Amino acid sequence: MAAQGTKESQNFASAKPSSPWLIVWAGLSITLPILLLYIYSCKPEAFSFAGIELKQILGNQDIDAMLASLDEPENPSTVNQPSVIRDSATSKTSTDSTLPFLSQSNGAFTLPAYELPVFADTTKHRILLIGDSESGGLRYPLNDYCLANGHKLILSMEWYSATVFNFGRSDTIDKIIARYKPTYVFLVFGLNELYARDLKARKIAANQVAKKMRNIPYAWIGPANWDEDFGINRVFKSSADSGTFFLTKNLKLTRAGDGRHPDVQGYRVWMDSVANWLQTSAKYKMAMKPPRKRGRPFRSSIITLNAAKYRGY
Amino acid sequence: MDTNWINNIFAPLHDPNLLNRIFSYSTKEPWFFTEFSFLAVFGIFLVFYAAIIQRNAWRKAYIIAFSLFFYYKSSGPFLGLFALMIFSDYLFALLIQKKTGATKKLLLWVSLSYSLSFLLYFKYANFFIHNLNSIFGTQFTDHNLFLPIGISFYTFQSISYLMDVYRNEIPASKNVSDYAFYMTFFPHLVAGPIVRAKDFLPQIVSPQPINAALYKESLLRIMSGLLKKLFIADYIGKYVDIVHELPQNFSGAENLLAMYGYSFQIYFDFSGYSDIAIGIALMLGYRLKENFENPYTSTNVTVFWRKWHISLSSWLKDYIYIPLGGNRKGEFNTYLFLLITMLVGGFWHGADWRFVFWGLAHGLALAFHKAWKQLFPNENNSHWARIASTAITFHFVAFCWIFFRATSFGSAFASIEQIVFHTRWQDFTGFWVSRSEIGILLCFAALIAFFPPKIKEKLYQEIQILPTFTWILWMTIALQIIIQFKDDVVQPFIYFQF
Repeated sequence: MAAQGTKESQNFASAKPSSPWLIVWAGLSITLPILLLYIYSCKPEAFSFAGIELKQILGNQDIDAMLASLDEPENPSTVNQPSVIRDSATSKTSTDSTLPFLSQSNGAFTLPAYELPVFADTTKHRILLIGDSESGGLRYPLNDYCLANGHKLILSMEWYSATVFNFGRSDTIDKIIARYKPTYVFLVFGLNELYARDLKARKIAANQVAKKMRNIPYAWIGPANWDEDFGINRVFKSSADSGTFFLTKNLKLTRAGDGRHPDVQGYRVWMDSVANWLQTSAKYKMAMKPPRKRGRPFRSSIITLNAAKYRGY
Repeated sequence: MDTNWINNIFAPLHDPNLLNRIFSYSTKEPWFFTEFSFLAVFGIFLVFYAAIIQRNAWRKAYIIAFSLFFYYKSSGPFLGLFALMIFSDYLFALLIQKKTGATKKLLLWVSLSYSLSFLLYFKYANFFIHNLNSIFGTQFTDHNLFLPIGISFYTFQSISYLMDVYRNEIPASKNVSDYAFYMTFFPHLVAGPIVRAKDFLPQIVSPQPINAALYKESLLRIMSGLLKKLFIADYIGKYVDIVHELPQNFSGAENLLAMYGYSFQIYFDFSGYSDIAIGIALMLGYRLKENFENPYTSTNVTVFWRKWHISLSSWLKDYIYIPLGGNRKGEFNTYLFLLITMLVGGFWHGADWRFVFWGLAHGLALAFHKAWKQLFPNENNSHWARIASTAITFHFVAFCWIFFRATSFGSAFASIEQIVFHTRWQDFTGFWVSRSEIGILLCFAALIAFFPPKIKEKLYQEIQILPTFTWILWMTIALQIIIQFKDDVVQPFIYFQF
């Protein structure tokens, strides 16, 4: 190619000297496209072409600054929504019995935190488990807990290789919730995006997930990190309502052969920690006493999706 | 219709720190060819360049000023060190030319030691300290050093210039501005190609006329370089980084694909950079030599080194292998000199024993091939023999890249162990299910890397027929493709660290 280019250039060279207008055109050939793309990036909405969204120039994000802003306390008015739990059987609503204690925390006769009852709500929930491949491992110990506490695990939707984009951008969660009418949702994903750096975009998707959970109690379980993440846990935590996010990354879990997913014992330890949190400090508490028998038969429905084949949006 | 967004376009103009941001050095935003801010400024630079194109002295001064500004934007205060080196080399060369005999030789050694001292200090001081401490149990502390960008490249350029003057192959530059132009010329400044004075200095006096063919060729090189680096290399690099973080946690198949991935990543990264450098230089009317010629299609490791990083391999040959004695001092010494040359080449890439090992492996392979050729002088040139030898050569090179990319010897051996003992067919299907986009890109990269060069040339020629006025559109499309796939944090050019 270069040799050909040289020959061609030299042929031209012998015929004409440098053309200043051509050099101006060369300058414009580089600057104008960048200017056009910059102007496009100032537009609030992105264009789509053949169903593909044309991305805008994001520039180099200052990830640290963005994460620092995520850690800022959220506006209490948006976080402290009234905690209303639907009774699955009657479709009536009942207030979480633990909440009076919490809502009186500024009152004169507030009990000290350590004297709060461990758990008083005996609501039997219809549980929906949604997540990536890790949810496929967690469903078995969750099933044990459900059977021990009278809850019903109505569906486990395992979306292989999925990320927050699949859950946030698609209407899959909305459709499943509309169909199965759960009273409690478990969200378990994030393992496929530990190294994600486009946190700004993922934050938007995580907000969309939180929006889908507007009227349903939920527990957002963070990924079981096998390596330090680039901030995805902080993004999820900032998008989830206060007290609904369980940070898994600090748990020491035994791993399966691939080194990333927890093994059977790892999933049990993980579920034990989640159950303890759900009884004591989660925003939407639920009865989660430890099961006497482990590894009980799993009879709930399972939906399996593959993000490589079904993106959802 | 909401038109408030139009105000956003002009928002940067209201930034009181705008001028400061444009003209000052920032460690967070150093200037590289892939920065859109650089490309935009380069386009504006060209518009003014057009006004002075006919006056060579102005043109030279304008390019030197922009080159120094470019180096300042990418390396900050090290600009002073660079300027000092240029000026001292210029004086040394004049002195070497004037003297004869032992004085001339002494001056050469002094000047070479002086030029090398910067590189040795900034790049290798901590390496020597670590090794001294571990061997002799000394307690020397590390120096807090920042490697000036491009120092390995411009030091080698400076050495080649001094040695060429010493050998009377070129006259010492009488005009300091000519020598400064050669050394600072920004397209090759930070990551090569390593330009020889005898190839470049004549062009300063009579640059190539810039015409439509040159314009198209240069823009095509810039576009293909940007796509190679920002689309192919960076995207594959994301996967390679994940695997090499903890190779023992990945299956043999994933490690094997990471080995192939890095082979393509480093090729597209560095050849992409070279394409941009050559394209930018062409747009100014100067031609830099090719740095890559389809290296992965080589049928043996000797040919590979004639096609890979050509400016470095020819430099090593001319300034280390031949001065040592080349093939003039007997068979044993020829092999020994080959090994020494490749060890230096390996060490040049980085202050770590992994790079030395990598150089040694290539040196041994070159020596082995030389011996093989003597034992079996009649090469089998059949189609299948060529395919088999290309596959063997590629796999050897790819295997050696593991040591180049790994974070330590332990990590490299862990990766090899996974590949050798834990590769199962079902892991490939698992990879395809979970990372199909990387799989597709690997296939695409392989297709380009192994594509017959003649077809590539033909394709380039066909593209260059497109009318001049349409090239803004092609550039816009290329940049949009990059934006579609670009990560927010782009990998720096791999060769900047060397």
